[in-house]
Amino acid sequence: MRQQYAWRSLVLAGLLGFVGLSIILQIVRIQNSPEAAIFRKQMAGYQTVLKTFYPERGEIYDRNGHLLAGNKTSYEVGVELKEAKDKHTIALVVGVQLGLNPDDLYNQMMNPPDGIEYLVLADFVDADKAAQLQQLKLTTDENTAPGQTSALAGLEFKAHPQRSYPEGSLASNLLGFVNREGRGYFGVEEKYNTLLAGNPIQVWVPTDPNKAVDIPRVPNGTTLVLTINRDLQAAVEQILDQSLTRYGAQSGTIVVMDPRTGEILALASSPRMDLNQFWNYGTVYQNASEFDRAISMPYEPGSVIKVLTVAAALDSGAATPTSSYLDTGEVEVGGWKIRNWDNQAWGQQDITGCLQHSLNICMAWLSNQMGAQTFYGYMNRFGLGHLTGVDLAGEAAGRLKVPGDTDWYPVDLATNAFGQGVSVTPIQLMMASSAVANDGRMVTPHVLYAMVRDGRQYNVPAQYAGSPISADTAHTLSQILAVSLENESSNALVSGYRIAGKTGTAQIPTDYGYEAGVTNASFIGWGPVDDPKFMIYVWLEKPSASIWGSETAAPVFEEVAQKTVVLLNIPPDNVRMQIAQH
Amino acid sequence: MQNVNYTVNYFVHAYRQAPWRIQRQWIGAFLLGVLGLAMVAALYLDVTAQAAIYGRSIQDMSAEMIAIQHNSADLQTKLAELTSSSVMEQRAQTLGYLPVDSSQMDYVIVPGYSAPKPSILASVPSLTPSAASIPPEYTQSLIDWLDQHLRAPSANILIGVAQ
Repeated sequence: MRQQYAWRSLVLAGLLGFVGLSIILQIVRIQNSPEAAIFRKQMAGYQTVLKTFYPERGEIYDRNGHLLAGNKTSYEVGVELKEAKDKHTIALVVGVQLGLNPDDLYNQMMNPPDGIEYLVLADFVDADKAAQLQQLKLTTDENTAPGQTSALAGLEFKAHPQRSYPEGSLASNLLGFVNREGRGYFGVEEKYNTLLAGNPIQVWVPTDPNKAVDIPRVPNGTTLVLTINRDLQAAVEQILDQSLTRYGAQSGTIVVMDPRTGEILALASSPRMDLNQFWNYGTVYQNASEFDRAISMPYEPGSVIKVLTVAAALDSGAATPTSSYLDTGEVEVGGWKIRNWDNQAWGQQDITGCLQHSLNICMAWLSNQMGAQTFYGYMNRFGLGHLTGVDLAGEAAGRLKVPGDTDWYPVDLATNAFGQGVSVTPIQLMMASSAVANDGRMVTPHVLYAMVRDGRQYNVPAQYAGSPISADTAHTLSQILAVSLENESSNALVSGYRIAGKTGTAQIPTDYGYEAGVTNASFIGWGPVDDPKFMIYVWLEKPSASIWGSETAAPVFEEVAQKTVVLLNIPPDNVRMQIAQH
Repeated sequence: MQNVNYTVNYFVHAYRQAPWRIQRQWIGAFLLGVLGLAMVAALYLDVTAQAAIYGRSIQDMSAEMIAIQHNSADLQTKLAELTSSSVMEQRAQTLGYLPVDSSQMDYVIVPGYSAPKPSILASVPSLTPSAASIPPEYTQSLIDWLDQHLRAPSANILIGVAQ
């Protein structure tokens, strides 16, 4: 009996052993079979998931830490078509909540593109609206009887970052915008797109929670601090808008810069657009050069360029402050007659008189005294016809014809000297004039004050673009310009502050000659003359109230200068003298 | 020598009398082995389960961290909107303030006063975890650990010598 049991046990043990051995053999066989590689490949595919970690786009601040461009969360609202049983209700709810046409939404869901299981109904939905919609879905789900499908089943919400401009249209010409794909267009957003966007990182993340790997730290895009003063920017934009209305100008540009460092403190151009609605770009602007006229739209500036002509004449020794000439009201150059703005003869004049009365004949005389080589050599060193290197996207170089060019004629030497036949941008003239304001040293205009990355701030130093004239010439010319404004009782004078500057009234060229009755009115000025802290450029296009820069652009300059001295805490000259004595 | 022979004979006799004692010894040894394996398995299971729980927690916290960062950016933007230039100007006007003209300003000389400088936005760099900061104890399995020590025994020996 006992032996019988022993046999049974042995048979059972043998059977179990055989089964076990078979399993082990099968495991070994499978692991070494030709299909094993396929299984391993499939397994590897499921083990990890490739995830892309996108950095948050860097923010943009003004010089006082006010946020000009940040990020916010917006939502994509979509529907899983297989799960959505009541498409009519979904269309109705989404349409009403988001202000869309429910019929369109319903048609989209009923006729989706081939192969689509998830359909986007709306994107860039505000967080508030998305939250309302989510709450509605939650309530509907809760009120649905057990075993029934919710009427809003299949409705999905996906959060993603979106660029946001808290100041709306403020400094829009300078900032540029970011489109839905995250690419920067115009201004700072385009120029520093790579820095702001940062670098996305792709990582294979194991799905097995046992194999914990570090989620890589994706550094955010670089934060930028601009040289812009937000309050000054707002004031300048306000003045520009009022000036366009007051003087009936088609468009305008005002730039405020620190002539010692090249820091742009405010830059306003018209028209502006709300950057949060960047998709309106096409309706606001006809072409790209209109986005920021200060850097992208070269024009014939007229008499403001006389500052550079006189600087060149004084520096080259072709003239001295006391040099005089007899203004006969008309001079012939290269077969063309050059006349003053008022077609009058001004008699014996010195350099101060030339600038005070803005005499074209005088400039033709000075350029002739210098000769083409010297004159164009100086204009070249002043940067005319070249990019300034301002750190904004879309800068235009303008055009300075020089002897040897097919379209250069001898008369150009005379007309270029008073700002006709040469095209420049406001920022080019500011850079060139900074040499006069800044002891002969020309500064490169820029908007980037500092970069913040990984908790460290890197300040951007001022960059100098050469010294086209000597310090003596710069001081002498500044005094001449200040005296000429004072003698003229210019509308640009600012009470309590000594200002140097020059008006400009230029005819507008067309394909068939100059347009009659319309002008570009400009003014460039800086102050205080003995220690310049601001330089302001005003350009009003086709003002209808008056064609003269002295009656339109000059008072705008004064208004901007008044705001500037208040907002930048620049005391009047007499107070500064007192401070210096202490 | 006689004593040893006596003892051996005693045991041989005793096992002849009760052979189940040898079987019990074998079973005991086997059970001991099984118990040891069970303990290792239980320990491994516990460690693995804990690692899985913490791994999932890390994933959850990472997602939460991203959500908080987004929320922070939202709040920052909202704050900027509430303190934007146009809003602040409107508030100032509502409170009865007027824009000041340069002629209305009085300057007082304060010895030692220095004008405000542009903002310094950067804070002290924060410590952030990096790949190298997680020690292998938190990432490798028991098998990985055994494998590492079996493959590189010399490293431990060297450490032992150094100590």
